[in-house]
Amino acid sequence: MDIKPMLMNVFLVFVHWSIVLLFSPLFIGVIAKVKAIFAGKAGPPVFQPYFDLAKLFRKHSVYSRTTTWVFRGAPIVSFAAVLVLSLVIPLGMFKAPVQFPGDLLLAVYILSLARFFMISAAMDTGLSLEGMGASREAFFSCLSELALFMNFITLALLAHNISLSRMIGADIPMSWRTFGPALLLVVASFFIVLLAENCRIPVDDPDTHLELTMVHEVMILEHSGVDLAYMLYAAAAKLFIFAGILVPIIIPVHTGHPVTESILFLGGTLGLAILVGIVESSMARLRLNRVRNLLLFSFALAFFGFVVTKWRG
Amino acid sequence: MEKTFHLPWQVPFGDFSLKLDPLSRVFLATVIILIVSAGIYGIGYLRRYAGKKPLGFHLFFYLVLSAAFALIMTAHNIILFLAAWEAMSISTYFLIVFHDEKPSVREAGFLYLIATHCGTFCLLLMFFLMASTAGSMDFSAIARTSFSPALAGAIFFLALLGFGVKSGFLPFHIWLPQAHPAAPAHISALLSGIAIKTGIYGICRVVWMIGVFPEWCGYALLSIGVVSGIMGVLYALGQHEIKRLLSYHSIENIGIIALGLGVGLLGRSHRMPFLSSVGFAGAIVHVFNHALFKGLLFLGAGSVIQKTHTGEMDRMGGLAKTMPVVSTLFLVGALAICGLPLFNGFISEFIIYLGLFQGLLRLPLIGAVSCAVGILSLVLMGALALVCFTKVYGTVFLGEPRRPIESTDREDTSFWAVVPLLVLAGLCVWVGLAPGTMVSLAFLGGEYLAHVEHSAIMIEKVMVPLSMVIGSSFIFLAVVSGLVFLRRVLLRGRSMPVSQTWSCGFSQVTPRFQYTSSSFARPVVDLVKSLLFLRRHGGRPSGFFPGKAHVHSAVHDASEEILFRPLFVWLTNFSKRIDDSRIRHTQMYLMYIFLFLIFLLVWKLK
Repeated sequence: MDIKPMLMNVFLVFVHWSIVLLFSPLFIGVIAKVKAIFAGKAGPPVFQPYFDLAKLFRKHSVYSRTTTWVFRGAPIVSFAAVLVLSLVIPLGMFKAPVQFPGDLLLAVYILSLARFFMISAAMDTGLSLEGMGASREAFFSCLSELALFMNFITLALLAHNISLSRMIGADIPMSWRTFGPALLLVVASFFIVLLAENCRIPVDDPDTHLELTMVHEVMILEHSGVDLAYMLYAAAAKLFIFAGILVPIIIPVHTGHPVTESILFLGGTLGLAILVGIVESSMARLRLNRVRNLLLFSFALAFFGFVVTKWRG
Repeated sequence: MEKTFHLPWQVPFGDFSLKLDPLSRVFLATVIILIVSAGIYGIGYLRRYAGKKPLGFHLFFYLVLSAAFALIMTAHNIILFLAAWEAMSISTYFLIVFHDEKPSVREAGFLYLIATHCGTFCLLLMFFLMASTAGSMDFSAIARTSFSPALAGAIFFLALLGFGVKSGFLPFHIWLPQAHPAAPAHISALLSGIAIKTGIYGICRVVWMIGVFPEWCGYALLSIGVVSGIMGVLYALGQHEIKRLLSYHSIENIGIIALGLGVGLLGRSHRMPFLSSVGFAGAIVHVFNHALFKGLLFLGAGSVIQKTHTGEMDRMGGLAKTMPVVSTLFLVGALAICGLPLFNGFISEFIIYLGLFQGLLRLPLIGAVSCAVGILSLVLMGALALVCFTKVYGTVFLGEPRRPIESTDREDTSFWAVVPLLVLAGLCVWVGLAPGTMVSLAFLGGEYLAHVEHSAIMIEKVMVPLSMVIGSSFIFLAVVSGLVFLRRVLLRGRSMPVSQTWSCGFSQVTPRFQYTSSSFARPVVDLVKSLLFLRRHGGRPSGFFPGKAHVHSAVHDASEEILFRPLFVWLTNFSKRIDDSRIRHTQMYLMYIFLFLIFLLVWKLK
């Protein structure tokens, strides 16, 4: 086996990780800034999430007597899962280092692995509030995974391939021309999935202060210090990666020029962050029993995307 | 490749011929692994009953069952197969009713006995059709015969009924959730790990023997897979009793296997060798995997029940601290059954997904749409299984004990209690991280069922993505160890205070405040409550000064309530009516005989 492509791949893996780790807190910062502007406040600087993470990394952790190693392991597993997930998607000029038919399955199931540990960690505290959040997270993810896969099925049909890099890759401009309506439905549905999977308004309010209504925030209530930093970083990176899947579909431009591609990609994610911020500022979170309707709606959108694809194809 | 073995046998039409082919090899491996590990566990489990129960009797039937399993997987003659099948059914009955002092156990055993014989009835019909067409009782001779589409369809239908009862296809599954909790832990593991797979094996054997099936057969298996899978996991979510929950999960996994087989059959009827081999191979790997992790989970549940003396999950909690070994091994099983990467469940589901996506992209419209439905239902099963097992693991092992554990003795870490679980968990991880051996073995079986020649190119198409999956799994493990190391470094030299759960400043009054398994599953159960026959009683405090309130909720089995119970009530009434109309006078009998003779005379004279 030739050593050079392997080294190249290892290098690519680290490039991917550094891009994700470098830019993902910024994504959160931009959303917060947009929300502050809408509320007529100056708001924290866009780099505030970096400062928060740096602060948390320097703190010690407090543990409950009730908890076991699952509680301590969950932040590590969820961070590692998101880092592995980042390897299957292309980031601007950098191709995905891990590409194979069926990599989308790995992507979804490694996120499920993280979710399993997150939910278990919440149950591990013995706190009923955390159990409540865990139960909701588990329920919502059933529906959002369904919608996510419905989108993947449509994309796979369009690209005639089941590798994520190909599904959101070179065939997209072509698909926009022939299957425009289907892709439009996919984009709308995927955007809802993005909001739901990353616990944004209207599914979950990351800034809420009432434990009874929280989903994601209540699950990390007992985590502190490094553990909390891992979890927050993982959440930010996950949001960034989901944006990274959506952006190449929305901006189907392939210039072939690496710098332009990267600028387009970063500009796209920035635009998406602003869009998420606008959505969050312009609507309230849904009542908990209405969330499932939203997710089923997202599934329905994706389903019609599938119907359109099959109809035209 | 194939090995045959003959013995003279004095049974009419019978022939003691055994054959080890690529299909039976995987099933036989499954049988041996689980028989041995459940047996070891059983020795430790039964020790407490020494002198109180006839253990020799139990052991005798355990050995009969083991032999019967091995014979079923290798028999190559109808008579021998049926004899082994009956030996299995009857010995299983005696093993299930080990705790026969409890009426519920006797009832469950009886239900099992009725169910299995209804199944055998269909099998007799099916084999009769086969043998009369082929003119031979030998499986190879039947395989050489060509069947008309109608006949092949009829045989397939009877196979679905007969073997479906054993495998627990919906709606014939009702014996399963009764029998599993009734049996001792090692027998539940065998029931779920192997006994229900004999039905799958039977279907595979029929699929192998009959070369051409009408196209609807593939769709039938796919839809059985979808329905059994989703309903199985939904029922499981509604359960409060751990072994009952696990047995409903077996129905879900049987659904996943049926999905794989359905893809295989679809591929065969559309002459797509790769699609067909992948579908069958995925199903076969899942048979092996399910036996491993379900065996592990049932044995783990057995240890938990021994410790807590209850199967009710809402009365447990915090067992991770008192039973660290079992809780870790149970976690392996739980992660594997959810089909998560690093463990074996992901490998088989990945192969089945590959088949389904292949069908989605290559099959004509109806096939593609059914494959899309298959993909979505597999996704839903995975997500619901995750809800279900976080519920089990969270309420049983994590948090605080919901009621004080009576026995203060330490965890049972004897050889008998730990080694079987350790072996099964080790195999789960082995298949999860080094699936090469198992998958190539199963792929041979898949090609054998698909009736295609072995080709290295086809297996490469599965092995290459799998090797990438494994590579990513190792990257994941490397990242995890890196993060653990980083955490160590960051926390070095710092105090790590341990105190009670913060709970936003609201300290808990009693551990019973913890979220229960029923509340955890409630959002999902509420969404589908019309499907599940959810009944909830009480729970609403009343009056100005409400006192104690009780709530009781239970999920009832729809196929039991709307199909079998009315059916059996009707059957009982019908037989009673026949009994009532019995003729009581000899004169009447004579008259009927006379009338019948006249009828025959007229008929003959015509």
